[in-house]
This record gives sequence, structure tokens and C-alpha cells, in this order.
Amino acid sequence: MFKEIKKRFATDDVEVKRNDLYKVGIKYSRLFELIHMLKDEYEYRTLNAITCTDWIEEGHFALTYMLTTEDRKHTFMIQTMINREDAHAKTFSHEFKQAQIMERDLHEMYGIDFIGNENLKELSLENWVHTPPLRREFDTLEFVNNNLTFREGRDDNVDTKAETKRLRALKKAEKEAAKKAKEEAEAQKSKDGKLKDEEIKDGK
Amino acid sequence: MEHNGFIQEQKTLEGDLNSDTSHKNSVDFLMNWFRKRSIFVLAYGTGCGAIEMPPTFTSRYDAERLGIRGAATPRQADVIIVSGYCSYKTLRRIIRTYEQMSNPKYVLALGSCTINGGMYWDSYNTIKKLEDYMPVDMYVNGCMPRPESILEGFLALQKEIGEGKASSWQKYEENYEFYRKNQEAVLGEKVEPSYDADWYLYDVGL
Repeated sequence: MFKEIKKRFATDDVEVKRNDLYKVGIKYSRLFELIHMLKDEYEYRTLNAITCTDWIEEGHFALTYMLTTEDRKHTFMIQTMINREDAHAKTFSHEFKQAQIMERDLHEMYGIDFIGNENLKELSLENWVHTPPLRREFDTLEFVNNNLTFREGRDDNVDTKAETKRLRALKKAEKEAAKKAKEEAEAQKSKDGKLKDEEIKDGK
Repeated sequence: MEHNGFIQEQKTLEGDLNSDTSHKNSVDFLMNWFRKRSIFVLAYGTGCGAIEMPPTFTSRYDAERLGIRGAATPRQADVIIVSGYCSYKTLRRIIRTYEQMSNPKYVLALGSCTINGGMYWDSYNTIKKLEDYMPVDMYVNGCMPRPESILEGFLALQKEIGEGKASSWQKYEENYEFYRKNQEAVLGEKVEPSYDADWYLYDVGL
């Protein structure tokens, strides 16, 4: 099967991840052909998931389609790259019904337009007008700082790390002082002892 | 040492019956006493804290012995518990539900998420301070608060009701513009959710 895929789709990116999990990376233009081939000829009849990874540096999204056989023993990952700007792909909702909601989710989170999908309404967000939140150019912290208010800390609020450091230093200094005092006392004691000895010697 | 956890709670509840300071106006005192001993809590859970509510209300911790019990609809409920993080989408429903409740009504907020965002402090669709969007009578901290803490929160709320101090619904009415402004800032101009009774039937479903 791998040989056939390599030959037919002119790709070297075929990998056996586990003894029941395989991965192939191909061009987007051949994606439909490959998935139809797997579905019709090799019994990969279930679409488990469509996932998306944002490669912002390379300027593309990696779409991964996971297909499973009827006996649930083998899984195939088909990875393809689409352009990040003006991201669009053709829908799989006619081949696999479950693809409809997966694509709707991807449309919401990454802004990918799935052409031919009947319903790309928001799934879990409501009235979202900003950048799709899972695109990497969306800065979550900046968004939160601009749109939401945090509770101010208490008056006696302290930086825990600095405070721990300070307390530790204090403890250490205390310990050292105690040690020094002890040593001094001992030195004094021995000095006194020596003096006494000398006195005794003098007395003799 | 005598083990008297539950008895202690009971004592806390009935303690102010004998205290002299609470007898300012006997009618008010009686009304507040009735109110605090029959708290109907809306059967509504948001976020992960909802999982701590069933043990609070069932036989293990048995909140009903303190006069706290469930109510099925907002119009019959006195207390709404906002149990845990609330996203924008949930906040819409919470506000709608809260506005349907009849006075006097109280809000109990559970978990660090309602206080300062908790572990969702940098989440783009979770609010950080619940009191910006609706008045809160009592916060119970913890992630999540155990049923003991929730009962403790209820006892504190009952004490405030008994003293006539819990009046968040009045605060909501008086400062409605402030709350509405904050709500619109995160939810857009249309605060109420836009569904009808058969919203799932038309417009290609969910």
C-alpha cells in the first residue's frame, strides 16, 4: 500500500508511526484523490478528526485528516498544507457527515473557509468579532489586558519569590551570626582557659 | 474532645436569636429570620464547581437541615450559585437567569475563577471579576471549594440575611447602568441570548 501511495502520489513523506498508525504528507491538490482511494480501496471508512496546526513562520496551516478502518485496527494520518492567508479548503462533509462539525470548529478557531460546507456558524463562541482565537497572531494576554479588568491585589500583597528570597537570606544571616557568636564564645573560653593555665604556671 | 461539627453549624445559625442587637425592628427581624431559614437555591450549575453542589444538597452534607434546598425555576429561587469559571457565553445565560429571579435574590459565587479569573486568568473568553457584571453577596474561595466551604458560605450569607445586610438586588437596580455598561463591553450590545423555544429546529440546527 505504501509503495502504491509513494508511486501514485509522488511523495516520500510516508511514515509508520506505530504498528497501527501511519502518516503521509501530500500536496493539497492530491488530497481528495488519496482520501477517496483509502476510503474505497482500503476500507478507511471513518473520519476520526480533522486537526489544524498553525505554522506561522512558514506561513501555512497543516491540516491533518485521521482515517480509521472499519475494524478499528489501523489509523491513517494524511497531512496537507494550505496557505495561511486567505485560508480555504474544500469541504469533506459530503463524503463524511461528521466532517461538517469538525470543519465548523476549525472555521471558528482558525478562520479557515471550507467551501461547500452548509453551516459554518459559530460553535462555541458567540458574536466573536476579533481574530480567530487559535491563530498564533492572536495575542491572548494582550486581548485580556485590553478587554477585561483584573482584581487589584491586597495592600499587603507581596511578590512571593522575592519575599521567600528575603526570608531565606534573613534566616541565613541569623544562622551565621549565631555560629559566629558561638565560635567567639568558644575562642574566649579557650583564651580564658589558656590564661588560667598560664596563671597556674606562674603560680608554680 | 467532643466532635461537634454539625452541632456547631446549628449553633451558629441560632446564635443570634438570643443576641440583643438584632432586635431593632421585630417585624424586620422576623422577616429576615424567615428568609434566611428558607433559602431556595436555583438548580443551575456553571463550570466545574457544579460538581460540588450535589453532595452539598444530598444526604452526606444535607444542606436542607439548614433550610437550604433546591428550586427548579428562577422565578421560585432566592439564590443563584455561580459555580466556577464563567465564559462570555455562560455569563449571558447567568444574567438572563438572574434577571428572571424575583426579589429578594442573592448571589453566591464559588471558586477562585469568579474572584479573579483563577487558572483562566489569561483566557480570552472568561471573565475575571464577576462583581463587574452582576452583584455578588458572598464569595467562597477555593479551587474548588469543598461542600464544607459551600455550607460555610451559606451560613455567612444566612447571617447577613438575618442582619438585613444582604441587599445585592437593590444594588443591581440602583447601579443598573454601570452593570449594563460592563456587560455590553464583553457581550456586545445584545446581551440576551438570541434563541426562542424552538431555536434548535430551524436555521440548520445548532
